[in-house]
Amino acid sequence: MPVWVDPEKCNGCNGSSQPPCLRMCPGDLIVKDHAENKAYLKYPEDCWDCLPCVKVCPEEAIEFHLSFQFGSKGARLIPHVPRKGSQITWDAVDLKGNKETFTIRTKIMQVALDEKVEGGAEAIDFSI
Amino acid sequence: MERKTIHTDFLIIGGGTAGCMAAVEMKERYPQCSVTIMEKAHIDRSGCLAGGMNAINAYLNKGETPESFVRYVRADSCGLVREDLVQSMAELFEYGVKKVEKWGLPILCDDDGNYIPRGRWNIKINGESLKPILAKAARSAGAKVYNWVTVTNLLTKDDRVVGAVGFSLRNGTFYVVQAKATLIATGGAAGIYRPNNPGDASHKTWYSPYNTGAGYAMGIRAGAEMTSYEMRYVAIRTKDAIAPTGTIALGAKAPQVNSDGERFMVKRYADLGGDGAPTPYRAHGPVQEIKEGRGPVYLDTRGLSEEKVRDLKSAYLDMYPSQVLYWLANGIDPAKEPVEVQTTEPYVVGGHCQAGYWVDKDRRTTLKGLYAAGDVAGGAPFKFVSGCWAEGIIAARAMGRDIEKMDSVAAEDHLVAAEEERAFKPLRGHGKVRHGIRPADFEARLQKIMEEYAGGVSTHYEMNEKMLTIARDRLAKLPEEVEHLVAGDLHQLMKVHEVIDRIDVAQVLVEHLLYRRETRWPTYQSRTDYPDRDDANWLKFVNSIRDPKTGGIEMVTRPYEQVVPGDRYNAK
Ligand SMILES: Cc1cc2nc3c(=O)[nH]c(=O)nc-3n(C[C@H](O)[C@H](O)[C@H](O)COP(=O)(O)OP(=O)(O)OC[C@H]3O[C@@H](n4cnc5c(N)ncnc54)[C@H](O)[C@@H]3O)c2cc1C
Ligand code: SF4
Ligand code: SF4
Repeated sequence: MPVWVDPEKCNGCNGSSQPPCLRMCPGDLIVKDHAENKAYLKYPEDCWDCLPCVKVCPEEAIEFHLSFQFGSKGARLIPHVPRKGSQITWDAVDLKGNKETFTIRTKIMQVALDEKVEGGAEAIDFSI
Repeated sequence: MERKTIHTDFLIIGGGTAGCMAAVEMKERYPQCSVTIMEKAHIDRSGCLAGGMNAINAYLNKGETPESFVRYVRADSCGLVREDLVQSMAELFEYGVKKVEKWGLPILCDDDGNYIPRGRWNIKINGESLKPILAKAARSAGAKVYNWVTVTNLLTKDDRVVGAVGFSLRNGTFYVVQAKATLIATGGAAGIYRPNNPGDASHKTWYSPYNTGAGYAMGIRAGAEMTSYEMRYVAIRTKDAIAPTGTIALGAKAPQVNSDGERFMVKRYADLGGDGAPTPYRAHGPVQEIKEGRGPVYLDTRGLSEEKVRDLKSAYLDMYPSQVLYWLANGIDPAKEPVEVQTTEPYVVGGHCQAGYWVDKDRRTTLKGLYAAGDVAGGAPFKFVSGCWAEGIIAARAMGRDIEKMDSVAAEDHLVAAEEERAFKPLRGHGKVRHGIRPADFEARLQKIMEEYAGGVSTHYEMNEKMLTIARDRLAKLPEEVEHLVAGDLHQLMKVHEVIDRIDVAQVLVEHLLYRRETRWPTYQSRTDYPDRDDANWLKFVNSIRDPKTGGIEMVTRPYEQVVPGDRYNAK
């Protein structure tokens, strides 16, 4: 499982129909379960590990995991993107729990909690 | 399904690197014209730039000129490139880069304010948010963006492209966009060959797995002339993580070594420049080491200072963060252990290599009204982000000039209706077609053929006429099986079209591989039956045109023209 939405932390971006994690995935892999008000990665096998979803979640609810075939569980890589300023901070935690922090210059781009979809975003029933 | 018709002056298919820059140029130069972008994802984080970038890989650092760039790229591409295209993009590197810097991209500078080079043609950036920066510029300039619209085909009338059609991933609206001039900027094609890793890492490819050759396929179906598909791109990447190695090789100046610690590039490819040999050889070298039993192959990072290792990790966090997690999860310290590398499955991509639309200097394709820029455009390798921007700018300017002579022409309604039927048919098949085929299974069939008979990883990228003929015959069966593809929802419908597009690309690719009877770019194009380079017969471009009526693929050649004097195989 490359990225995982922690249901305890995800608040569904209030009532957002197109929350940031879902909008910013270049593969359109994340969906929102509107009944539960939670987002989740629907197509894990199609994930590119590119991390926009992780970076834009205002609740830091999305964890980045390596596919298990590549290495052991337990290491962590956590980006912190502030709302203002010009830096992104990454916490890198190794298997022994040692943490190294990287602060890197960037241009912080505001991401709205929701966005209107051209023509509406109502799920359509295609069953015939 | 609801149908919506849009009229626009300029249409951009694919709001990526080239597409966003083109949109800005169009709006700045021709503010009275309307610009529409159709994008399958959301332009804020779509395509190759979604994860970020840490360098601009094509830039004229101090002392370099467009001519010195052409000489370098020509030698790096084994003596055959469209020099006119390479030169014209180099002339605009600075224009594009300065613009993006103005929009807020942090570019690393020294104390005197000069960009810091990373290798001869590269400059360092903090490009984690490069894509949202470009997207914002395109929107602010006034382009109308349709996110989550997968374009399925071009619209043509009397050999002219008059727009395109696609469907919304969100609500199924069928968009018919009628345009005076159309720019295709959908990037290259991943997923033609079997990827390096299985399971939940099967899309952990180097190239964006969501660039699936749609732009190539639409052009192929409409009869556009294509060039040089046979120059595939095989990337040398870090093992498992599949992260770009330029960060290590150029950023940390680490040489390639084999399992005996031998600097095999220096030893065996000294005459070609050792570690600085042309890019195909830098993939070919390691492939041969592994094939001949001297693997694994590494980039020797041992002895790097603590500070350099931190720099390396920071650079990856800007572009390919999973590399850092990979080191953490495996307890690897690059200062103590060399970084293992591997080669990827072959991609079709006109930005690193030169597969794509055959275009003139203004990036006009052979179809009237259609222009191409970025990884989808052929003939000009070594494009990278800055070359894609340059091509977007060149195309935008040409479109603006040409549009005065063009009026809006509507596509014939029965053709639009036929395309709508083709686009949505797999949805209707769901649950009704017995034994319907899922796109993932179809993809596996395609990749199996390409991997085993058209020079995949397991055959060390090698091929001969017999193998390629088998590939051709097996691929020929696939188009008639497309009708079994089924989609349960709109996301799957997109996946269905991705695989249909890749079949069209793969068929053309195999014809190109068969046609060039020499080995010009080892590993990218290794013909065991014609193992040598043959300038007497093959210093020319191999092009193809698929007949829109019969589906037959005609192969033609186009002459190479030297624009910049000098030794074609040696840039010095
Ligand atoms: C991982 C990685 C790292 C790289 N690192 C660097 C680097 O550090 N420096 C550098 O200079 N270059 C780098 N490159 C190369 C560079 O990023 C690419 O050459 C360049 O971004 C390609 O631009 P493009 O506009 O052709 O394609 P993209 O920017 O990928 O844009 C194509 C767009 O078309 C859309 N699209 C595709 N199909 C359809 C469809 N059917 N309908 C609608 N839209 C569609 C896609 O979603 C995407 O938005 C890297 C590439 C990769 C993959
Ligand atoms: S952005 Fe974060 S909080 Fe919002 S829906 Fe997605 S995972 Fe949940
Ligand atoms: S890592 Fe990238 S591909 Fe995977 S879910 Fe997140 S945004 Fe999508």
